[in-house]
Amino acid sequence: MATVTFDQATRIYPKAEKPAVDALDLEIADGEFLVLVGPSGCGKSTSLRMLAGLEEVDAGSVLIGDRDVTDRPPKDRDIAMVFQNYALYPHMTVGENMGFALKLAGVDKAERARRVAEAAKILDLSEYLDRRPKALSGGQRQRVAMGRAIVRSPQVFLMDEPLSNLDAKLRVQTRTQIAALVKRLGTTTVYVTHDQVEAMTMGDRVAVLKDGVLQQCDTPGALYDRPANVFVAGFIGSPAMNLVTGPAVEGGVRVGGAVLPVPREQLARAAAGNGQVTVGFRPEAMHLVGPGEGVQVLVNVVEQLGSDAFLYTKLAGEDTDDVLHPSDVVIRTEPRSAPAMGEKLWLGVREGALHVFDAATQQRVE
Amino acid sequence: MTIASQSSPEAMTASPPAAAPATPDRTPARRRTTLTRNRWGYAYVAPFFLVFGAFSLYPFVYTAWISLHKTSLSDINGGTWVGLENYRNLLHNEFFWNAARNTLTIGVLSTVPQLCLALGLAHLLNYKLRNRTFFRTVMLMPYATSIAAATLVFSQLFGRDYGLINTVLQSVGLNPIDWEGGTWSSQIAIAVIVTWRWTGYNALIYLAAMQSIPGELYEAAEIDGASRWKQFLNVTIPSLRPTILFTIVVSTIGAVQLFGEPLLFAGNGTTSGGASGQYQTLGLLMYQQGWSNFHIGQAATTAWAMFMIILVVVGLNALIGRLRARADR
Repeated sequence: MATVTFDQATRIYPKAEKPAVDALDLEIADGEFLVLVGPSGCGKSTSLRMLAGLEEVDAGSVLIGDRDVTDRPPKDRDIAMVFQNYALYPHMTVGENMGFALKLAGVDKAERARRVAEAAKILDLSEYLDRRPKALSGGQRQRVAMGRAIVRSPQVFLMDEPLSNLDAKLRVQTRTQIAALVKRLGTTTVYVTHDQVEAMTMGDRVAVLKDGVLQQCDTPGALYDRPANVFVAGFIGSPAMNLVTGPAVEGGVRVGGAVLPVPREQLARAAAGNGQVTVGFRPEAMHLVGPGEGVQVLVNVVEQLGSDAFLYTKLAGEDTDDVLHPSDVVIRTEPRSAPAMGEKLWLGVREGALHVFDAATQQRVE
Repeated sequence: MTIASQSSPEAMTASPPAAAPATPDRTPARRRTTLTRNRWGYAYVAPFFLVFGAFSLYPFVYTAWISLHKTSLSDINGGTWVGLENYRNLLHNEFFWNAARNTLTIGVLSTVPQLCLALGLAHLLNYKLRNRTFFRTVMLMPYATSIAAATLVFSQLFGRDYGLINTVLQSVGLNPIDWEGGTWSSQIAIAVIVTWRWTGYNALIYLAAMQSIPGELYEAAEIDGASRWKQFLNVTIPSLRPTILFTIVVSTIGAVQLFGEPLLFAGNGTTSGGASGQYQTLGLLMYQQGWSNFHIGQAATTAWAMFMIILVVVGLNALIGRLRARADR
């Protein structure tokens, strides 16, 4: 077990103009479960592969514990990796797949069998040890890939989208199992996903990347409550946070025909750039107010989920026929008393639930 | 080739009857449509089978017919029926066993190094190299060279008195070798020519198969602590197993039919395969029987014996492949 440190780690692919990972600074504590999340092409997998030693580090360094492993080959890093498509050796049995690393490390046969059997028991694979990967279901293959990693008792687990080849139901189930397993083993884990729900549910901390640059790294709760910039605000949470940009006016920000109140000092700092302010409010942070008090919206689509209902609404005066952009503001309401399509509503944002960003720098303003 | 195409028409005719026992009341209509459909199917495959029948199957069967006769080249149809006597003679013919032995040793001497070298070359070419296309093209050039040209150049290299190889041997203080005269030396020299011609071809086949191995397997092996060599043994070779089996089959067929290289090796195109037949292969023996000694019935028998040997070898390979596949399940 060990800490992991990215110190200004940079990767520039040959012939690329921009770095794939740009001066990444990240400290991962011993035993921590850190999730790297971001849209495709954000550099999250590249970061993981730099830690694995599968990708060169062009500048900066990567440390595991106190050891600088920047120029060490993967086998000297004491890591284990779970690949998106599992990368199981097709000609080896489940048992041989799981014991391969131990065999290469010169662990004797009896000890190897003991450790494989132990891991297989944890993962409920004991009866499949003599099968080959192609005779297993997707979920079982995924568990073999996990088993191959835990058999080695490495210092760090690296997981590159290990759930994305599973169907939706199994993904949710396996998500919980992996989180519980890793907690139990107490091994430092770096986990890459593009799915923010996965990131929020599994990570002790979540690092959000965009275009190779680290946007914010914090606990899931803190990311949700205090996103550092407009990108994180829009990326974390489902449905996404409502983000509306408007001019700063006396007392707040003009949105649609109304003014959302923002404290004077905060407003002044947020508008310092170009006079425009981006405000964000989550779907659950809205409540109905009397006519003329808040922002007027027109309900365009109603999504009934049973436990909640989501209203996709347009700001009053906007074009409601634009099918590609059916909504400016998403609202979560009680499913039983949800307003109908076509209704006009007046909305207010709950006290303290308004996020304010400088429209020019996209940064959060407190 | 021949074997595969022969089995295919059976496979095709086998499927329609399986579809026939459907619901009884609809059977006539169903049968009529399958017949109509099949008629078109047969029409589409007919050109191939016509050509195949005329130029492969007919000569094949006709050769078998001739092999049962005592006949000469000038009067092929006028032979006398002797039954299996040609085969009995062949099995008691010391030239046949000599040729069979030579074919086997030259085959092993050429096939084994050829395939090992091809694997190694393909592995090297699989790395990201500059001018990769250039190297791949170069590899295929020996294959594109005519046997005659290659063999004549090599017979110069292996020449006893002025050959380049003996000159080099002498310059480092070794005795020159009479490459053509000795049994082993002549067979090694011929194996070298065959290897030179076919290594690149096999390497390209291996390379194509290697490129379909997912890169993650190598990354996983690297993280598991496998060196390049261990990755080659534990990822590349197992993934190439079906391809290796294929190349073994093709090279074996080529080795059994070896003809051009030993014919031209001495430079004068004699079919005797050296003064004491030290490198006479089955192909040469057949040619000698039919076209030097004019015993075309005996030559046809040798041709069929070669075909039988190929059948046995290919069958063994298929059996090994089948057993491996079963073990893999």
